[in-house]
Amino acid sequence: MSSLRQGLWRSLEERTGADGVRPTAQPAAPLAGMDRRQFFEALGASLTLAGLAGCSRPPQGEIVPYVHAPLGQTDGLPRFFASTLTRDGYAHGVLVESTMGRPTKIEGNPHHPASLGATDIYAQASVLQLWDPDRSQSVLHRGEPSTWDAFAAALESLAVRFARSAGQGLHILSGTVTSPTLAAQLDRVKLRYPRARWHVHQPSGNDNALAGAELAFGQRLSTQLQLRRAEVIVGLDADFLGDPAAGVRYARDFVEARSATGSAGMSRLYVIEPTPSITGAMADHRLPMESRRIAQFACALGRRLGVPAPGCAELTPDEARWLEALASDLQAHHGAALVVTGAGQPAWMHALGHALNLALASHGATLACTEPVEKLAEVDGTLASLASAMHAGEVDTLLVLDANPAYDAPADLDFARGLGRVAHLLHLGLYRDETGVLAEWHLPQAHQLESWSDGRAFDGTASLAQPLIAPLYGGRSAHELLAMLTRDEVTEGRALVRRQWQRELPDERAWQAALQSGVIAGSAFAPRSLPLRQLAPAPLPNAADQKGLELLFRSDPTVGDGRWSNNSWLQELPKPLTQLTWDNPLLVSPALAARQSLANGDRVELRLQGRSLRAAVWIMPGQAEGSVTLHLGYGRRLAGRVGSGTGFNAYLLRSSQAPWSSAGLELVSTGGSYPLASTQRHFAMEGREPVRVGTLGDYRRDPAFATAGDEFPGAPPSLYPEYPPGEYAWGMSIDLNACIGCKACTIACQAENNIPTVGKEQVQRGREMHWIRVDRYYEGAPENPRSYSQPVPCMMCEHAPCELVCPVGATVHDAEGLNVQVYNRCVGTRFCSNNCPYKVRRFNFLQYLDRSADTLKAQRNPDVSVRRRGVMEKCTYCIQRIEEAHILADRENRRIGAGEVLTACQAVCPTQAIRFGDCADPASAVAQAKRSPRNYLLLAELNSRPRTSYLARLRNPNPLLEEG
Amino acid sequence: MAQLFSPSFGFLLRLGVLAAVLAAVTLVSAWRALTSYRAAPLDALEQPVPFSHKHHVGDDGIDCRYCHSSVESAAFAGMPPLSTCMSCHSQLFTDQPALAPLVDAYLARAVLRWQRLYKLPDFAYFNHSIHIAKGIGCASCHGAVDQMPLTWRVAPLTMRWCLDCHREPAAHLRPATEIFNLHWQPRDPSALGARLLSAYHIDTRRLTDCSVCHR
Repeated sequence: MSSLRQGLWRSLEERTGADGVRPTAQPAAPLAGMDRRQFFEALGASLTLAGLAGCSRPPQGEIVPYVHAPLGQTDGLPRFFASTLTRDGYAHGVLVESTMGRPTKIEGNPHHPASLGATDIYAQASVLQLWDPDRSQSVLHRGEPSTWDAFAAALESLAVRFARSAGQGLHILSGTVTSPTLAAQLDRVKLRYPRARWHVHQPSGNDNALAGAELAFGQRLSTQLQLRRAEVIVGLDADFLGDPAAGVRYARDFVEARSATGSAGMSRLYVIEPTPSITGAMADHRLPMESRRIAQFACALGRRLGVPAPGCAELTPDEARWLEALASDLQAHHGAALVVTGAGQPAWMHALGHALNLALASHGATLACTEPVEKLAEVDGTLASLASAMHAGEVDTLLVLDANPAYDAPADLDFARGLGRVAHLLHLGLYRDETGVLAEWHLPQAHQLESWSDGRAFDGTASLAQPLIAPLYGGRSAHELLAMLTRDEVTEGRALVRRQWQRELPDERAWQAALQSGVIAGSAFAPRSLPLRQLAPAPLPNAADQKGLELLFRSDPTVGDGRWSNNSWLQELPKPLTQLTWDNPLLVSPALAARQSLANGDRVELRLQGRSLRAAVWIMPGQAEGSVTLHLGYGRRLAGRVGSGTGFNAYLLRSSQAPWSSAGLELVSTGGSYPLASTQRHFAMEGREPVRVGTLGDYRRDPAFATAGDEFPGAPPSLYPEYPPGEYAWGMSIDLNACIGCKACTIACQAENNIPTVGKEQVQRGREMHWIRVDRYYEGAPENPRSYSQPVPCMMCEHAPCELVCPVGATVHDAEGLNVQVYNRCVGTRFCSNNCPYKVRRFNFLQYLDRSADTLKAQRNPDVSVRRRGVMEKCTYCIQRIEEAHILADRENRRIGAGEVLTACQAVCPTQAIRFGDCADPASAVAQAKRSPRNYLLLAELNSRPRTSYLARLRNPNPLLEEG
Repeated sequence: MAQLFSPSFGFLLRLGVLAAVLAAVTLVSAWRALTSYRAAPLDALEQPVPFSHKHHVGDDGIDCRYCHSSVESAAFAGMPPLSTCMSCHSQLFTDQPALAPLVDAYLARAVLRWQRLYKLPDFAYFNHSIHIAKGIGCASCHGAVDQMPLTWRVAPLTMRWCLDCHREPAAHLRPATEIFNLHWQPRDPSALGARLLSAYHIDTRRLTDCSVCHR
């Protein structure tokens, strides 16, 4: 029996008992300005009209056949195409579902090393981005609609001029480039216009890691983690599970090494970080530490492990105890240890990380260095050098390729003013954003799902991107634009990419094979091993860096660096750990909040180096005391109808010298309160024991520790009769030991099941519609609590409390054990939701789904009903996928095979924490999982007999730091 | 004080109540009759081209699947692309005025809009392929189209009509060889139905589950 089963909490208010009210309770539909008489008039009129509406027949409908049927398409059957989506420039292999020519859903590509069949939240959200009605829809010349032909003529005259001047004054700005085609085209620009310059600006790029490798080995190298082989992992401000390039893959590898039953044993993760991350939440030991202090700790660790590390400050007793435990554990796992340094740490910290890993013999075992995956920036190829060139008036033409520097450039560069001095600003982008409105020519970019391209994954594996649909708004890709600029004889996207791969894929068969599998075989980079150079002494801690609070800048966990601001799925996805939606308040530690008497939502002013920003605060358990965090990606003015005006613009405080953290912040309370929409207290299961956790020691002593204290081992007796067994017994098992809380399941479910977003104000009332939520529980003191994630879909109870109370039979049991919701029977009493102990039912209080925007209709899954206002809805275990598999198998008179039905949440899960299948088949993965001793039922004492069950979470603490 | 009610009031009251009851019964009966699922089948609709199943199926003997090609593999039976029509009509009757909309649309690569006869509400997910695979013939829902000069609808497509069959599927099953035969009649319906029910492995437990048709 674990001692950890008590004391879980979800919010600070809940812990202190300060606030008994959960979501803001307000009248469901305010009857604004209506008296009783008017109300009854309206009531009568609507009843009469409703009766009239019943008289009409349903709309007739038409059938419009093709003139020529598309090759290989069976009308109504979806097809899947392998392609590539990039995140921060790095490739993720995906399979795109095409329904009658419309891309509707993204799945991971099992052959791709960065995916292994799973995806992150951004891949899921990219279909919504494709169909976003706010996308830029035409070429604009100084804000007036124009044409590509007119732009081509203007570009022609520029090209003639640059041909004469060898490109003097021509600058190109892009994000990180891993696309071999784009890299070759940039080289071509250089060849044609030798004095042209290319700048790279990725607001959350990994420049420090590349520079750190240069300090350590003399050249810039990419680093890859091999977490499957790591037995002890130390993260120094490193959120590798959220890594933009490889997070999905790292999560899979990490969790595979965390299995208690596997032969390799269970790895141990230590995380030292200033602000909580999903990686920190998975740690066996987590130490909150200011970002600026981590360097001191790392130096001490280096010295302890025999690495010639430069001098460092004294450690506190607590830190010294940690250091001792860490160092001995690392040394005991020589060759299977790994030190990971975060992107926010300075370059020399990355160099020190390499030195530590060399001392631990990690290179080649748990870590590999390869030649850089991204195209390396030129000398002076930074945004800062572009800004100084602009201010000096040296930039005649600036071509911005899918970047938005007018919004996301650090404030000290004064970029927007610099842009004013550029004679010709050309902007290629999906949206007419902050940069687009300043541009002489704004050019609509073809979406990744509309264009040919290629890219490299974190390990160098190249893959092709193919269009799923012709550009909706006549957009063109960066490849096509650069081909115009360089007057390439090849102008069309496919031909440009084909030419690039002519050598590796000489014949059509090899090309088709690469397209079909989604990866170019054998294109991963080979690991390199280089001797370590003498490390330069660390820059001494600067007194100025130690003063005041440090402000950390991090990519937002859902909207990234601002690129995804106009995506309502991502905006409304509760952010991991904070469970906040639609906002990016300043994260402050509980101690700091107490000192400055701040409460959640209090307005503050941030003052840093003469700049200031007004924001709201959020008290973040586990935040280092002297650190505050502001996420990038909010405060946009011209994101679109969804993203404009949400949150606070962190870029206004960011400096190009210290893009990740700045010390000397002053925090001044300005009074007043800002409304924040956090879902952390919604759908509470009333203080029961939803998450069960034990240590590896608990597990070894009693594998069934999770259920050891239960009143009824096994199912308690019931007065209700059993349902007769059906052909299948669908069930789900969720492994809490594998769940990293990334929330990809929530957004995959949203994409699959046509789930609407409701907006910030409705989220505040607890009306978000997600069918699978991921609860986050804290345990322990708010200064450094442990955190656990728990995905909660419908439990599909065999004795379902919801079914008993529905007056109209809208929620009923089916023969295979599914608890079915029949939307067209539902009259919206909400009795079912009130009677659901798991709070997994969602009600359409208003007409949330946009029924007007045509492009959004094209995104929706045609196999799932669209729900209207006044209807209850909930997780169906993806009934549409079950039925598809049923029909396919029944047609062939066979049983549904293993793995034929994957629910959307299961398919997307990076760590395969969710298993689904036929519980009645003892060989199925889900039946095997349910036989695990860690298996437990949520609220088993209610005897609702859920078909969804959980596997208890395990921790592997170091006995030196905690009794295990 | 004068009498409040006249002597005839009781009679008038009874008459009034009777009239009200009669009116209510009449209204309800009329409503039931009008909205009955056995209401008259839908008449043929005006189509851009007066397509005759009688001619194509009855006279020429073209198989259903020549045009409705995905009926065995997908939910949607398939509506032939114009190129399928033109595989014959580029040679036959090409210059007939009745075919002009088809030929014009084909040449201009424009759309031809047929009026839908069989339309289910969007929340009902009907799948042709499973019905074909499990022994439901075309004629069961579409009637003898080979005798329809213009196609009309023979089934009400109400939920009750669906359920009549899902509750008692045996009576509607036919051997796999007779699915596309529009005039097949069983010789011994009861014995055949029971035999086919097991031969097709039809799981009658779930045929009336909501989840079979609604998602």
